Amino acid sequence: MKQFGDIARHNPAGAFAMRLVISDGPLGVSWQHASETCEFLGDAFALHHAKSGADYNEARHAIVYLVNELLENAIKFRVPGAIRVDCSLASGNFELTVSNDTAEDVALRFQSLIEEITSRDPGELLIERIEANAADETSSASGLGLLTLMNDYGARLGWDFRTSTSGAAVTLSTHAALTLN
Amino acid sequence: MEIKTGEYNVWNEGSTIHYEGTLRLSGTDAYQPILELMQAVLAEKPQNMVLDLTQLEFLNSSGINLLAKFTIELRKHPELPVKVLGSTRIPWQSKSLPNLQKLHKGVELVIT
Repeated sequence: MKQFGDIARHNPAGAFAMRLVISDGPLGVSWQHASETCEFLGDAFALHHAKSGADYNEARHAIVYLVNELLENAIKFRVPGAIRVDCSLASGNFELTVSNDTAEDVALRFQSLIEEITSRDPGELLIERIEANAADETSSASGLGLLTLMNDYGARLGWDFRTSTSGAAVTLSTHAALTLN
Repeated sequence: MEIKTGEYNVWNEGSTIHYEGTLRLSGTDAYQPILELMQAVLAEKPQNMVLDLTQLEFLNSSGINLLAKFTIELRKHPELPVKVLGSTRIPWQSKSLPNLQKLHKGVELVIT
């Protein structure tokens, strides 16, 4: 088991919450499901948040962007299997956990990336990685989504790696929290 | 030039490139046709360049990276005035577009 960043969950048991499971499928189908999932969750949670007079549009967009980025990563880097999505909202604190199984070598590479992108100011790192990526045609721009979440959205991120129940892979849970205005 | 799908349109009118809809493509390769359209407009050696994003409701991080890469290409043409148009109605633009100015000081960012 290995953990990075902020994995603490603060929303109470009675918070407005949803759990969704995206079944395994071809990339195109999964991509479409991710898109529909983030739009649905953005709508549902922003509507709930706006009951207190908050800005629906801002909240919806931030949730859609966050859920979409984490789901895109889960779809790209998972081994065959479902993706579980848990979200909750209490007092303007939106919490999201996306869990999926991934291959051990992918998990190790991702751990190095996490160590790098959490080591310094995300704004500086974002610009540095964009520059490096533009200079290298073969670069996949990995980490930019997470850095935009941290820098542009103020998202607090954490990662939890454990051996999967089958023992054949690594279960990665990515935790994120956003303060909605 | 125009790239049109059910989810997004990208087209140019002279040296103004318009983006409309939701861009959520899966990575650098998937964005390549759009980058090529942008590069083709630049290759015409325009007097100025405008990226009009005021109708682009959503852009994922791969798409933001596309804009960033193109901004770095524009930096190689310091004499070329570049304007990026955004909308306050679309929250990602106020959050992420200022990064383009960090990459290229010559970018004029207008978010209204």
